[in-house]
Amino acid sequence: MRSIRARSKVTAAMHTSRVAVALALTCAVGTVALAPGCREPLAAPIAAASPGDALPRSGGTVHFASFADVRSLDPAVASEAFGGSLIAQMYAGLVEYDFDGSVVPDLAERFELSPDGRAYTFHLREGARFHDGDEVTADDVKRSIERALHPSTPNPFASFCENIEGYAAYAGGKADALSGVVVGGRYVVTIRLETPDATFLPILAQYALRPVCKSAGARFEATWAPCGAGPLKLLPGGWERGRSLTLVRHDGYFRAGLPRIDSVTFAFQMPIATQRFKFEQGELDAVKDLNQSDFVQFTSDPRWKAYGEFDAEKEIWGESMNVEHAPFDNIEIRRAVAAAIDRSKYRKLKAGLLHEANQVIPRDVPLYDPNFKGQEESYEAALAHMANAGYAYDPISKKGGYPGVIPYYTYPQSYPEYSGQVLQQQLATIGLRIELRLVSYPAYLALTRRRGRVAISPQGWQADYPDPSDFFEALFHSKSIADEDSNNTSFYKNAKVDDVLDRAHGELETATRARLYGEANRIICDDAPWAFAYASRRYEVHHPYLRGYRTHPVWAYFLRDAWLDRTPVKALAALGLLGAPTAPLGGLR
Amino acid sequence: MQSGRGRPRPRARFLAHRGARVGVALVAAVVLFALVGPMLASHSPLASDFVRGIGDDQMPVGPSRHFLLGADRLFRDELARLAEGARLSLFIALSSTAVATTVGGVVGVLSGYYAGTWVDALLMRIVDVGLAFPFLLLVLAIGAALDETSAWTILAVLGLTGWLGTARVVRAKTMQVKALDFVAASRALGQSTWAILLRHIVPNVAGPLLVLATMSVAQMIVAESVLSYLGVGIAPPTPTWGHMLFEGQDYYASAPWLLLAPGTAIVVAVLGFNLVGEGLRDALDPRAL
Amino acid sequence: MRQRLARRLLSALLIVWAVTTVSFVISHVLPSDPARLVAGPQARPADVARIRTQLGLDRPIVIQYAHYLARLAHVGPTVADGAPVDPSHASCATVGPLHVDLGTSYQQRRPVVAILADRLPRTVFLGLAALVVQLALGVGAGVLAAAKRGSMLDHTAVGLSILGVSTPTFLLGVGLQFLLAHKLRLLPLDGFGRTFGEHAASIVLPALTLGIFGAAYYTRLVRDEMLDVLHDDHVRTARAKGLPERTVLTRHVLRNALLPLVTVVGMDLGALVGGAVVAEHLFRWPGVGALSVTAILDRDSPLIMGVVLVTSTAVVLANMLVDGVYALVDPRLRQ
Repeated sequence: MRSIRARSKVTAAMHTSRVAVALALTCAVGTVALAPGCREPLAAPIAAASPGDALPRSGGTVHFASFADVRSLDPAVASEAFGGSLIAQMYAGLVEYDFDGSVVPDLAERFELSPDGRAYTFHLREGARFHDGDEVTADDVKRSIERALHPSTPNPFASFCENIEGYAAYAGGKADALSGVVVGGRYVVTIRLETPDATFLPILAQYALRPVCKSAGARFEATWAPCGAGPLKLLPGGWERGRSLTLVRHDGYFRAGLPRIDSVTFAFQMPIATQRFKFEQGELDAVKDLNQSDFVQFTSDPRWKAYGEFDAEKEIWGESMNVEHAPFDNIEIRRAVAAAIDRSKYRKLKAGLLHEANQVIPRDVPLYDPNFKGQEESYEAALAHMANAGYAYDPISKKGGYPGVIPYYTYPQSYPEYSGQVLQQQLATIGLRIELRLVSYPAYLALTRRRGRVAISPQGWQADYPDPSDFFEALFHSKSIADEDSNNTSFYKNAKVDDVLDRAHGELETATRARLYGEANRIICDDAPWAFAYASRRYEVHHPYLRGYRTHPVWAYFLRDAWLDRTPVKALAALGLLGAPTAPLGGLR
Repeated sequence: MQSGRGRPRPRARFLAHRGARVGVALVAAVVLFALVGPMLASHSPLASDFVRGIGDDQMPVGPSRHFLLGADRLFRDELARLAEGARLSLFIALSSTAVATTVGGVVGVLSGYYAGTWVDALLMRIVDVGLAFPFLLLVLAIGAALDETSAWTILAVLGLTGWLGTARVVRAKTMQVKALDFVAASRALGQSTWAILLRHIVPNVAGPLLVLATMSVAQMIVAESVLSYLGVGIAPPTPTWGHMLFEGQDYYASAPWLLLAPGTAIVVAVLGFNLVGEGLRDALDPRAL
Repeated sequence: MRQRLARRLLSALLIVWAVTTVSFVISHVLPSDPARLVAGPQARPADVARIRTQLGLDRPIVIQYAHYLARLAHVGPTVADGAPVDPSHASCATVGPLHVDLGTSYQQRRPVVAILADRLPRTVFLGLAALVVQLALGVGAGVLAAAKRGSMLDHTAVGLSILGVSTPTFLLGVGLQFLLAHKLRLLPLDGFGRTFGEHAASIVLPALTLGIFGAAYYTRLVRDEMLDVLHDDHVRTARAKGLPERTVLTRHVLRNALLPLVTVVGMDLGALVGGAVVAEHLFRWPGVGALSVTAILDRDSPLIMGVVLVTSTAVVLANMLVDGVYALVDPRLRQ
């Protein structure tokens, strides 16, 4: 019968006799495959060709990469910070942020504020040109603002401009024009506000309202090819979605001689390890997406130390507690959490890239008060607050505390996934038990911003524009509460805070504003809708040959003043069989 | 084919198989590690040590007398986590394999035996839909339905997706066996369907099924780490080998032990299960006489 | 025969319909809001709500589904070359008067058909390359291991296949990238390239990553299946006839391994279209796999549906191909 056959037992025995060998081999190969690094040393920085020469030179292509992607290059609809930084360099605005974060004239030569504080008049530079060669005029400014705020435009920041006179009627579709934007001549445009507003200039300096070429028309169209008046312009066909973007110098840029580079390419969605390899090989000129391990290597290497720089710290993180949701409807429990968390431990998970934070504003945002103590950490106080709340906890017998287990919603592959575990360990010591629930980022956004859904979650806020109002109003003003999409994730409502914030919003006198925000800060830290935890910043290293490249307080990858001083790289590229295959315009370098 | 008469019984053959003995030893070691390891560990797998776990360079300390396998990125004892993780990893891998193999085997045999009938058509269309379904979306849906990613989500995902391929292969094998002369002969002799299935089909399909299952244990352990890569892994702070492997990858340059420790554990476990499977196959295969 | 084919096609259509419908439901009931993801995490409720309306997401899911089906394939104006496109058909791919409309991606604001047309050929290219690697390595190693059973070669092949299945693709990929592209600088670190030479060089790493993982399984399968028949009567007869060992192995033994192999190759073929998620992401290969992750993370429903349609069709087509090959390889199954 076919099924009866003899299998040689001899070979089977031989087979197993060498299993040990196979195992050893397997593990050896495994070690190589699994640990490609084993304390992999860093390559040396690539020196400038003429380090002694201080005079900037023109030409060359800069190569950057990012883990993120850019969804839109249209200022009217872009939503993410990374894309915003590129847009800011493609479209010049009436005003711009200076390196110290203040707002200075840009496309406008100068501007003045009316005595009642409600009308800003901008005087445009004559002869400033769009990428298509047309001159930028007051009509273009008005058209661009109306295009950005039109109800058919999916502009995520439109409501930031609600204080412009006539916004409600225009955005509601009841008016054909935005009455608050008035053209006063070819080079003069006035923007009138409903009320005096200290946030207007910082918001205007953002990218959303920046002038766009006439080809953009009066309404948003997804098929429009980006065109503005900034120092860099889109190379036709130079944007491959999700892959790469090439921007080239705008020769008609109003600042003569700038930018100095010929072009820049950005590669998108590049894994962090690939970025590091490419940077070390000189295929990337700078790298910003560093993991903790890379960061430590670069900052502890004396060869590299001089070529790295920290970003502005403009992102605050904390544990947001829902004041409508048990047990955090009890102020004493919230205070217990705020007192219990040991912020230095959060920092140690990402040493160097985080600072302890115990108040609403991160330190590089204007009006930050370094002397303000905020939420203070004290284990005894935390236990006392727990006792006041009626959930006394005895750390020795480990008895007492809050009886339930509280779900803590966070998302995977993020720093909060790890900081949440530290929080869990710390809250256990005061008798509060939390359990991490990892949900996808979209679900995290939806759930934590839904009323009555989530008791506690990690939340962060990055400055939309450099001003404290952004943090206070978005996170703690009652007007930011909604049943869905509530940016006030604590659902915190305090009439006194609302009033102080409203007054600060309209106050043009800096010292008074600082005092008002200081007051709001104190009340919020005490009410503890958030236990403030840490503020984060990023670190960027570049090769020494990329010169004049400075960190901008708002925009990443700010290239206006940068220049390349690099030895021709042909010899380097020959090391690889194929050089840099992904680099468009590779020949230019 | 009267199996085993006058020959060593399967158990004896299995025990005589040197590869199988090594495999059993490895699996036993891993299981022992899972059972006893957490009790022997001097550190808690969940507690960070912010004093001794941090090196001068602010990174987790490497293997040392205090932390035998070094500390992880939250400055916890890697060894304690490895031992704790062994439990869950083995549990997930074994139970999801059991689910996948049982369901896949039953579906595959039935479908293959009744090839061409509506039973086959229905079962295979279900498999087709399952195989054509986007894995990631399924994972997200299950995760969302359960409101969290826990060991059960992962088990559900791996079990629900793992049986499809098995069913296909088993079906093909069943059809092959069914076409052989002796099955036709049994049918001609009037044996019942059940008898044919149990006496002829299942024994002949069991070999490939076992190989699939042992490979599957391995794949399940690995798949768990891929789920972590896709962002739907186990909820922290619970350790699993797969999740530890995923967490270690960022630190390959400065803390390679975070990759090596779970990596080696996985390779040893996988090797053990494979060798056991090999031995079982040789011992059970009725044609190997 | 023709009736059989018609039945197969009908069931294929049903499968694709079932998969896309379930996906549609899932992508719409997940607790997340595409409008929020378009607007960004910090947008205000008023802006999110406006964008939600603009995307048509405020309509009931049944209406959205009906709209999706109605647009999927419909009759519209025939587009002449260079003529302006009717805005209501801007997101359509047309064959004469027949329009296929998969909608417009929420995030990219481009027609889904255009995005897929970019990505699909590249994914197929990578999938085939991976399959070649997989077959060459897997079948090669499997045959050698079976032929030289018990030898060092056999142990190495089995050992490597165990290592292969126990190494997740993301680690394997990073390891290969580190070794071949960073340390030895033999290959580009990532990418797709612009010329044929660059495409060919860039595809090596992702294809190897995918292929090695798959080959591990093929090695075992081929080896074990071959060992099963190595001592079969017809093999002995062939040997007794004095045929060279190589001929015996390829013509009589390997053939036995083909049927199960065809099954798994068929499944891999379908799965590689859109399933190469990790490798495409790691090496920035602009294919459907990387796209599917982005689409799902963005809850970009039109794009999700487009990807699901393409990938499920690929799987189903591969199935039909397998069935066809079955009939060729094993005449007994022809019924």
